[in-house]
Amino acid sequence: MRAEEQQGFVLHRHAYGETSVLLEIFTAQFGRVGLVAKGVRRPGRTFAGANLRPFQPLLLSWTQHGELGTLVAAETRMPHVELRGNAVWCGFYVNELLLRLLHRHEGHRDLYGAYEEALKALMRDGCQEPILRVFEKRMLAALGYGLLLSHDRSGRAIDPDGLYVYGIGEGPVPAAQAGTLQGVAVRGSTLTGLASEQLAEPRQLREAKALLRVLVDGLLGEKPLHTRSLFRALRTASPE
Amino acid sequence: MVHESEAIEALKRALRRLPGIGPKAAQRIAFHLLGRDRAAARDIARALEQAVARVGHCQVCNNFSETEMCTICASPRRATGLLCVVESPADLVSLEQSGAFSGTYFVLMGRLSPLEGIGPEQIGIPRLENLLEGGAVREVILATNATVEGEATAHYISEIAHRRGLLATRIAYGVPVGGELEYIDRGTLAKAFSGRREA
Repeated sequence: MRAEEQQGFVLHRHAYGETSVLLEIFTAQFGRVGLVAKGVRRPGRTFAGANLRPFQPLLLSWTQHGELGTLVAAETRMPHVELRGNAVWCGFYVNELLLRLLHRHEGHRDLYGAYEEALKALMRDGCQEPILRVFEKRMLAALGYGLLLSHDRSGRAIDPDGLYVYGIGEGPVPAAQAGTLQGVAVRGSTLTGLASEQLAEPRQLREAKALLRVLVDGLLGEKPLHTRSLFRALRTASPE
Repeated sequence: MVHESEAIEALKRALRRLPGIGPKAAQRIAFHLLGRDRAAARDIARALEQAVARVGHCQVCNNFSETEMCTICASPRRATGLLCVVESPADLVSLEQSGAFSGTYFVLMGRLSPLEGIGPEQIGIPRLENLLEGGAVREVILATNATVEGEATAHYISEIAHRRGLLATRIAYGVPVGGELEYIDRGTLAKAFSGRREA
């Protein structure tokens, strides 16, 4: 199979042999794909015109016979993207989520769009929590685990001032009726904020983070995210 | 199935642990050493054994060294206020060959790589912090690679330096000497442009 000029991003690259790299890329049509890019680390390298690094929009062509494809052409798409300062940690986090949760060769157009938007926002605004929460929400929806945010479990519209327990796999239940339901306690305004992707208040952000954390962790399973432990190391290192 | 001696198999397995050496190359090297150049084989074995036994890390800059303090750190001719941080000993060698720098170095022996679980503790950052704590350094020159991980590492170290009130500078990006603009990738060109200076 040959894929021609696909829009995509590098999620991760590691050295492969003396002069090549192994790329995990994310494209709209083919989803996550593993590619070998030969000779990239040589002086006078091939694909010299392209910037084969994470977060940079690229046009990629490759041939695929087995599990790993071979990159045959790559071009940098405008604009030149660079995540500065702390935004790069958020970018790594998003990339790690995709590497962990996507199977190879499954197209995800919606998720691709969400990823592009998240990167643009990180480039424009730096590392802002709402960008990550909105991406997590959209990612869960694209993977078939969308949240129920406009109505509670019995079909009543969410009251922004109400208190709810969000039962995992069940949706929100008014706290007064939740009984022994296991879940995450949230304000109605957190749910409506997530629905409209307008998260501004610290409380909304705190609750949205807790809720999405539980849902994302449910998909990740036992193995922790490297970027999350690094976040913790960074936070303890800086006195902010 | 040809049965080879256990010693030859062990040698091939050992050679394959070298970077860039696959099964075929390992076999070629093993047969060459045993068949044509046994003296070289003995030299290599001896040199490896000695290097592994003698070479450790410099207590100051973290580079490979046979002594507690490497020759660069021990040299009275190096400017101590300037500290250049690099990812690997190979980077240090390149910079030394360029002759551009006369200060001292710190070798991280890696870079922050969140997706591979390599954090500040896994590379030499706590040791670098101790070195900065010592007070002799005025300027930290960040000469990590211009990869995403290298940039992230530089950013992280710049914050450490700033917290101690030290100047942190990043090596410049741009058009290679002798380079033609037409053939330079756009990212580099954009960086070269934004980093232009008065002529």
